Formats: sequence, structure tokens, C-alpha cells
Amino acid sequence: MGRLLKDIFSFEDRPRFERIGFLIFILIVLVFPWIIKSAYGRAVMIKFLLFALFGLGWNLIGGYGGQVDLGQAKNVGFGAYATGLMMLWWNVPFWVTVPVGMIIAAAESFGVAYPMFRLKGHYFAIATLCVALVWKELFVFWDWTGGARGVEIPIRPTPNFTYMQFGSPIYYHYFIFFLFMTQLLFMNWFRKSKLGYECQAVRDNEDVAASLGINVYRTKVIAYTITGGLGGVGGSFMTVYYLYIDPDFVMPLDLSILIAMTVMVGGAGSIWGPVIGAALLIPLDMYLGAWLGAQKRLGIDFMIYAVIMMFIAAREPKGIWGIIERMRKKRA
Amino acid sequence: MRLLEVKHLFKEFGGVVANSDISLEVEEGMTMGLIGPNGAGKTTLFNCIAGYYRPTRGKILFDGKDITGWPSHQVARIGIARTFQGMKTLPNMTVEENVMVGAFCRTKNREVARGEAQEIMELLNLREKAQSLPTELPIAIQRRIELARALATKPKLLMLDEIAAGLNPLEIKEILQTIKRIKEERRLTLFLIEHVMEFIMTISETVIVMAAGRKIAEGPPEKVAREPKVIEAYLGEKYAKG
Ligand SMILES: Nc1ncnc2c1ncn2[C@@H]1O[C@H](COP(=O)(O)OP(=O)(O)O)[C@@H](O)[C@H]1O
Ligand SMILES: [Mg+2]
Repeated sequence: MGRLLKDIFSFEDRPRFERIGFLIFILIVLVFPWIIKSAYGRAVMIKFLLFALFGLGWNLIGGYGGQVDLGQAKNVGFGAYATGLMMLWWNVPFWVTVPVGMIIAAAESFGVAYPMFRLKGHYFAIATLCVALVWKELFVFWDWTGGARGVEIPIRPTPNFTYMQFGSPIYYHYFIFFLFMTQLLFMNWFRKSKLGYECQAVRDNEDVAASLGINVYRTKVIAYTITGGLGGVGGSFMTVYYLYIDPDFVMPLDLSILIAMTVMVGGAGSIWGPVIGAALLIPLDMYLGAWLGAQKRLGIDFMIYAVIMMFIAAREPKGIWGIIERMRKKRA
Repeated sequence: MRLLEVKHLFKEFGGVVANSDISLEVEEGMTMGLIGPNGAGKTTLFNCIAGYYRPTRGKILFDGKDITGWPSHQVARIGIARTFQGMKTLPNMTVEENVMVGAFCRTKNREVARGEAQEIMELLNLREKAQSLPTELPIAIQRRIELARALATKPKLLMLDEIAAGLNPLEIKEILQTIKRIKEERRLTLFLIEHVMEFIMTISETVIVMAAGRKIAEGPPEKVAREPKVIEAYLGEKYAKG
């Protein structure tokens, strides 16, 4: 038990500058809504934390596991719809819907992982993309999920913690920060766990991993299942934050790609990568997207992402974190 | 005691018969050498034993258990460790992490795995390199990392595929001594493939010679080296190379 707690909360094995950086980051996030009063600025911050949260979960399969998954949006959708529908139908409290959404997402991931991991590399990536698209179309097609119209969450007369509805965005800021921190701590445990080492070994070389007693197939299935479950959390948050969900909003291909991209840009397979990637891409996306939209130059932002993506893939596979680590090694 | 037994093993790739009717026995605690010209089928035989390939026909027994067709990870867990010809590292993990992955074969506990890894790195003189990435290091050290990683799985049988290839004479001498030392300290049974005759002759008690997928000789190194069939196989290769 003591060891488990230590593995969750301790960053002792990380270099000093990382721990100090992490502390400064926490302080900035904590005071942020008291300094930035603009609604847009606060919304950018919340979206950043949401995508950092998405990135943390995706990093398990995509970064540590090295399996390029381009379908994480389906799991976001499962979380969002589990929360939305359960609230709409039965008034289930938010905190009950979260684990249900996670279990549904994990169960579905486990089910599809089985055949999908017969495929490797690009074929696997395309399979994940297709599965996510099929789910999205199903949610559009089905009546019981609200179809293309989606689900609207009834507004409660008084703000409350049972349904996580609040009058002020400050609450949502700390709420998403809490979810982000729980997942960060989970990943902190994961990266030190046997499973974490096994995933990295599988990523680096499947033959070597197998020769060291690792069941490669099983490791991938487990990693993909956990990533599925983790993806549901942010989806549940989206439901109570935006109070409206539909398939185009919570399960589109863009979302899957943006999640994968934030992690790859920030640094796949490192604990801070997703945070750095989201810190760069989300403000860029929101400010640039808004600005270009105002200029009636839609689509240019996607071109910019494509260029960033190609640059990362060709020049710096370990992302921004890779650059930071290399500079540090050079100085040492 | 008989640790490994291969009975009438065949491995075919399409039309190519890479292993043809191979039978052999490895006694516990011994050092068995496997030599033969390039393309003789040595690596294929290792791959069949290690579960990397499924044999076309034949049986493989380990510790009296039939392990024919077992997947690699189960073969590793039962106590057979192997290194790969031409080296395969875990390039994004540090030396220590490489060895820890091996140690996780026998434990769930990270501290136990780290302790085991440190002990083995000490044994193989890798302590100073613990935090380096294997790809930054010279080949001779990368070979020791492979050795360390395999050892960390606590095998009974250690199979090394051309661990000395590409090393200079001094490094070959070093790795030879290292192998002898770990064999004593860890009470291992060794099964080695080596293309370089001189290497295998000094360490093996028994040598098996393969050529064109078949076993053509077996016996003590001095005796085998004088057999006309063996000389012919090697001469043939020299001429073929021109
Ligand atoms: N995966 C494979 N697919 C097809 N042929 C193979 C494969 N592996 C080995 N071979 C063939 O089997 C023969 C023996 O190869 P190998 O076992 O690597 O020889 P050695 O290790 O003695 O040099 C060669 O002719 C090689 O081309
Ligand atoms: Mg070979």
C-alpha cells in the first residue's frame, strides 16, 4: 500500500528541473482564473486542460505502447453519451456516470482490440480510424441516442456538485484540473509499473519483448483497453461543461487526430509530452482558428497543423520533449 | 540431466528446407556449440527452439516438457533465454531499463526488478552505462547489454546467436571471459552459435556442425575440426566467397 501511494504521488525519480517546472505549472493553473478574467481566456485554459487530459490517456497506447491509435474520439463519445443519457433518462449523478462511461469505453476497446491487434503499424492505425467512424455513424443513425440532434442536458435550477453544473466557469476550471491531475497521477503510476515497462518494450521491439517473457498481444490489448477507459473521462466532462453533445461534436475524426497530434507534438511516451503538446496546440487552435475564421480563411489552420505534423514526423519523432531532453544532455 | 532435447526437427520456408531432421541433446550445465557456414540453418534452429518459429515437424523438449510450438514469451518464462543475431536492442529505453524489462519476467515489483538489474549490470560491468541509451554505445557494450537482458530473465538455458560477430580480437577475448564467468556464477547451460571457429572451439565441450540444413557432425571440438565433412563444408564456403 505504501509503495503504491509512493508510485502514484512521487516524482522523485525525475530530474530537479522537471519537478520545479511541474510545481510552477500547478501554481499557474491554480491562480489562473483569478488573474485572467476574460471568458475566452478562461475557456482556452479549460480546453487546454481537457486536451491535456485526453493526451495523457492516449499517451498510454500511442506513446508508451507505440501503437498509433486514430480513434480515441469514440471513447470520448462513450463517456459523453454515458453521462448525457444517464442524466437525461434517470437523473444519475455525474460521479456515477463517469465510471460507467469508462467501463463502457474500456469494454468496447477490449472487444475490438482482439481482432484489431492482428494488424500492425499503418494497418492498425487505419483500423482504429474505421472503428471510430463506424461508431460515430451509428450514433447519428440511432434514435435512442438522439441521433444527429444529439443530447441536451436539462439545466438545473441551482448549481450543484451532484450534476456538476455551476454558474461560474471558475468551478469548471478546478473541476477539469482535478480530473487532469487524477489522470496525471495514474500515468505517473503507470510509467513505473511492470505494465509500463512492458508496453515500452513492445513499442521498441516486439521480438525482444517476446524473448523476455512478455506476451506482446496481451500487453497491447490491455494497454488499448485502459486507454479506452481513460478517454471516457474527458467525454463525461464535455457533457456537463457544454451541456450539449452530438456525434459531430464528441466523436469526430478531427478530435481523434487532434488528440494524437497533441501528444506527438509534445512528446509521445513521456509523462509531460501531452501537457506540452496541448499547451502549444490548443491556444494556437483557438486563437488562430478564431482569427482565420474572422478573416474568412477557413482551412488554413488545418494546413498549418499538417505542416507541424510532417515536421515532427520527419525531424523530431520524440516531439518538443525530445528537443528539451537533447538540449539538457548536451549541456550536461 | 538432459535439459534440452530436439527430435527430428524440420523447418521449411516454402521450398527451402532450412532445418532437416535435426536431433540433438543438451545436458544440464554443459556448453554446446553450433557452427556451420552461412545459411546452414543455425539461426533457424534457435528460432524454432525459442518459439520464434513453429517447426514444420519434430519435437522440442525442455526439462522433460514438450514445448514444441510454444510462443516465445512462454518459452522465455520456462527458462530459455536467447539473444538475436545482429543485435536487437530496446532503443528508447536506458541500459538499466533494458535489463529491468528482462527482470520483470520473474517479478511484478519494480524495486526487485531494479535490484536484480543492478546486480547483473555489476556482473557485466555495465553500471556506469546504466542511464545511457544502448544505441549511443559501442557494439561491444551493446552485446553485453543483450547478454544482461537475457540473464535477467533468470534462464536455465542461455542461447547466444553470434554474440562475438563484428568484435575485434580483444573484445572477443573479453566477451568470452565474461560468458565463462556468468556461466559459473549463474549455473547456466549454454548453447552458442558462432561463425568464428576459434571462439567456439575454446569454450564448447561439444560442437554440432550444420551445413545446408542438416547436422553433419557432432563431438568434442578438436575431433570435429578434423572431420573431412566439416573441413569440406567450410572450404566450400571459402571458395564460394572467392
Ligand atoms: N523467415 C524466413 N523466410 C524464408 N527463408 C528463411 C527465413 N529464415 C531463414 N531462411 C532461410 O533458411 C536458410 C537458413 O538460414 P539461417 O538459419 O539464418 O542460417 P544461419 O544462421 O546458419 O546462417 C537460409 O537459406 C535462409 O534464407
Ligand atoms: Mg545465423
